[in-house]
Amino acid sequence: MSFWLTVAGMVAVTFGSRYAGLVRRSDLPDFWARFLHFVPIAVFASLVTPYLGGGLGEGEIRTVAAAVAAFAAWRTRQLWVAIAVGMAVFWLLRIPF
Amino acid sequence: MAPPTSNGAFRRGFWALAPLWLGVVPFGLAYAITARSAGLSLLETQALSALVFAGSAQFSAVGLFAAGAGGAEIVLTTLLLNIRHALYGVSLGRRFRLTRRERPVAAFFLTDEAFGVAAAARESSFPFLLGVELSLFMMWNLATLAGFLLGAAIPDPTQLGVDLIFPLAFLALLVPLIRTRTELAVAVASGALAFGLDRALPGGLPILVTGVGGSLLGAYLTRDTPPDRTIHPDDAAREVA
Repeated sequence: MSFWLTVAGMVAVTFGSRYAGLVRRSDLPDFWARFLHFVPIAVFASLVTPYLGGGLGEGEIRTVAAAVAAFAAWRTRQLWVAIAVGMAVFWLLRIPF
Repeated sequence: MAPPTSNGAFRRGFWALAPLWLGVVPFGLAYAITARSAGLSLLETQALSALVFAGSAQFSAVGLFAAGAGGAEIVLTTLLLNIRHALYGVSLGRRFRLTRRERPVAAFFLTDEAFGVAAAARESSFPFLLGVELSLFMMWNLATLAGFLLGAAIPDPTQLGVDLIFPLAFLALLVPLIRTRTELAVAVASGALAFGLDRALPGGLPILVTGVGGSLLGAYLTRDTPPDRTIHPDDAAREVA
């Protein structure tokens, strides 16, 4: 299979997944309405824990930085602030003492 | 109060995603450098970013190309990695009232990051969603171009640890969603499950399995309460982005 045929296949399955969800109309059974309520919670959580540690053996200070960022997110509810606070804590802890 | 113009909504969406640019750029640079070293041309590298527009799938695809994998294998991996977008679409489709013509456009540019920002935002118009989506699309493609052109001249951006921005962003989006004990339980269980699965399954698969598993758990735990028909109630508590 040529490169461009492979790309066409990748586009088809990616666009297909994205489009299939959007065309689904809203009258769902109660169970699935409750299911959808939890989708962002479950997905967001799954996008946090596997990537927290990083590949450089800095899991501990990165976890501390994330904890402080979570506190900042809880207090301010600002994405910018949480990321800035988390990265500042991380870079500070990285300085070798 | 006058209704906001669509131009204003687009711009608000565009800037709502801007905090994530800092995390996207190093990822895009790294992808383009990987693609280049896998032997892809500039046109091929950029085409994946412009047409597929899915970071983790693009990364695994160039790895598979380099390893000499067949096209069918690459397409199947892409499907496994990206089928989670169907969940995002269902979730967004219930909040954003999209016309028949808007739906394919919104679907084409849908990503993890755009879903995160759009699902947590208070607005629910098509221009706002498009602004969110194109904000990432523009940055991802600029980073791809820059990464390919600069090539080996760039020091490894992961050494700076900016990849931490990705989990921090989703943590910041997650925190305001947790208001009940059940929601906390689902978040903790999902985080633990994804962490465990990440060691065993490739790329986006842990996200898909956890997304379905965690949501099933939540739906089961709340089986005696009436469903929350509005996924994100229009209140300040959820307005993070």
